[in-house]
Amino acid sequence: MDKTKEDGVEEGCYTQHYEVLQELGDCYSSIGNYDQAQHYYEKAASLGPDEPGPYVGLGVVALQKNLLDDAEIAFRVACRLDPNCAKAYAGLAMVFQQKQNCQQAFELYMKCLELDSDNITALLGLFQTSCQMGSFEKIIYYLETYLDMHPADTAVAFSLAALYMKDGRLEQSQKMLLDILALNPANQDATNLLEEVERNLAQARLSGVKTQ
Amino acid sequence: MQDRSATINRPVLSRAKGNEKKAGPLVSILIPTYNRRRFLSVALASVVRQDYDNLEIFVIRDGGEHVNDIVSSFNDSRIVFIDRAENRGVAFTLNEALVRAQGKYICYLGDDDLYYPHHVSTLLDALESGGDYKVAYSDLYKTYCRIEPDGNRTALSKVVEISRDFDRFFMLYFNHALHVSLMHRADLIEKIGLYNEQLNVLIDWDLTRRLVFFSDFHHIHEVTGEFYSPIGESDRISVQRRKDQSEYRRNVLTIRTTRPAKPWSKIDDMSIIFVTDKINKQAGQTIGLIWSNTFYPYKLYLPLPHAELSRLNIDMPNVVFVPVNPLSSQDQKIDAALAKCDGKYVAIAPSGLPIEEMWVEHPLYALTYDPVSNEAFEPQGSSEQLWSVVVRKDHLANARKSFPNLSVKQSLQAAGIRSRKPTDEQRPFQFDMLLQQAELAEKNGDWAQAAQMFEYIAERYQNELWMKTLAAKAFYKFGNHARAAKLSSEINQQRPTVDTLLLEAKVNREKKNFNTAIGLLRKAEQILTRKPDHLVSTEINNYSR
Repeated sequence: MDKTKEDGVEEGCYTQHYEVLQELGDCYSSIGNYDQAQHYYEKAASLGPDEPGPYVGLGVVALQKNLLDDAEIAFRVACRLDPNCAKAYAGLAMVFQQKQNCQQAFELYMKCLELDSDNITALLGLFQTSCQMGSFEKIIYYLETYLDMHPADTAVAFSLAALYMKDGRLEQSQKMLLDILALNPANQDATNLLEEVERNLAQARLSGVKTQ
Repeated sequence: MQDRSATINRPVLSRAKGNEKKAGPLVSILIPTYNRRRFLSVALASVVRQDYDNLEIFVIRDGGEHVNDIVSSFNDSRIVFIDRAENRGVAFTLNEALVRAQGKYICYLGDDDLYYPHHVSTLLDALESGGDYKVAYSDLYKTYCRIEPDGNRTALSKVVEISRDFDRFFMLYFNHALHVSLMHRADLIEKIGLYNEQLNVLIDWDLTRRLVFFSDFHHIHEVTGEFYSPIGESDRISVQRRKDQSEYRRNVLTIRTTRPAKPWSKIDDMSIIFVTDKINKQAGQTIGLIWSNTFYPYKLYLPLPHAELSRLNIDMPNVVFVPVNPLSSQDQKIDAALAKCDGKYVAIAPSGLPIEEMWVEHPLYALTYDPVSNEAFEPQGSSEQLWSVVVRKDHLANARKSFPNLSVKQSLQAAGIRSRKPTDEQRPFQFDMLLQQAELAEKNGDWAQAAQMFEYIAERYQNELWMKTLAAKAFYKFGNHARAAKLSSEINQQRPTVDTLLLEAKVNREKKNFNTAIGLLRKAEQILTRKPDHLVSTEINNYSR
């Protein structure tokens, strides 16, 4: 029997069930129930075979379970389904970082940040791998970009201050640490680093070295 | 009555389920079926497992695949199986059961749809509660689904697309109550007649529209069933037959000009007096436009000399010839027709009057809802040269009696009946116009505007749940997640749906209320994965009467 005036289909009306399952996966993952998360991500994948989301979720679950090869496969599928999926690149980077492949991890974190400069996982991951590799220029750029958007994020600001110091940019480091302490005077890490920076500054001035 | 040769298997209707005997009137459920074996078992299972017992369940095979094995597998003495080899169409098939139905109430179910267990009891409670309603309807999910290789349906989404409160005026224009959601008193069939077997599309609206003449409809804001929309399916009657535009139009016009036998308890009739000196091309065109543009019930009165009437070759329904003296003036013709009019409202339409959609419904609507009793309303196309009016018959009759020597227009004025064009605010379907504007804003990506409009409509018109749901979705897309969550939560207290549960869950997850989100999502998932096939296999095995 005829049902409705028009048989037009509203955009997105085929994805509702998929969304419910994906959300369930994300929620269970957030509370640490990875078995349930996996269950729902797998169901979501069957309903949304072209969606990267479930595979990103499955990758995260596998990482949590330390199943690095499974995680790599899942994140690679997500990347293939959506070459612009920043989270997939971040996940893949974490896999390589766990596998002690810093160079590969670094490049993948970079790729993620090119797609999403706000991705905190990639920022912190890039920071960690940069420290291991001793190369800071690119991470400094991304941390600066992130802080422009999130000036109150003292954790990232601290990382940047530390990088400035390592890079010999002592005055920039000092300014950043003073900004952190203005927001949170009780930040002991910032206080300690500031002392070190100011000590280095003083030494540099005594020896006539130009500082930034 | 036509010969309705078919095998009818009707066991004796002695009903008892265990030691319980459900008191309450008999409800007849009609399920026509044609080439949907797989889904028929699901549909039928949903009927036999209703929480209301006193049912008479008609399954009518309209040719096609045999379904004897499916019907008999239920082993339910309430099922009346009408088995016909020849395919005669849905209207014929339903009529075959309707004439045999013994229930006090009638329901309908498609062979690929399903009821939730409380469908019948919910509607029945509403109709038996002592009010004036003889018809009730509920909300249904439209289930977009994918047909799997094994033939099962996987729900991709379940959406309450329409949840419209009863609007008689709209129902005369088009359908807004899904047939599967409907229950009505069986004795109304004597007044409205059976399904029209001359129609090949919109047969459900045709029947429902005739019900409107005799009863208000009680809208129950609960989801009590589902109908299915598989991806890419193009074999539905509604899809196929709408492709032939002229045939579709013929069906619509047939429906709109159908008048059940009087007396009508809920609709006041309208008489249209057509004024012309002779039948010529212009007159013919105007009559044709009246026919194709009028949806309110009417009769068309043609006051003309015998000679003109005999020249008339017209197949338009509901036409009344009023022979008049060839020397009659326009006003005398109107008076002659007026004497025969039996409608409460009269519209005077001269030949050549510009006629477009709602030409007479707009002034009529203003008249029926006009708190000021001494007004008449003119269609938009009315002018000094081609004057037209819609007026209460008693007002017009009194004016003509009091001032017979004046023109019709002057006599109305003299009688204190002021005629004017109605304002836009007096136009019918205000709700629909606003809804259209809100939907346009959505389409253009202006979510903020759409959300505000949906909320505005919800506050000032009916259909609050429906509009609030749309507002919540628009607010979410706009980025006002707090408002979206608040609206969703309110709706979920009254009538939770998958959409609103998902919305509320998303916002809770954003706020890191993960356990709350999980609770809402699990409810949504339960609705989506209601497992009729699983229940069918389980319950057929366990269910034996």
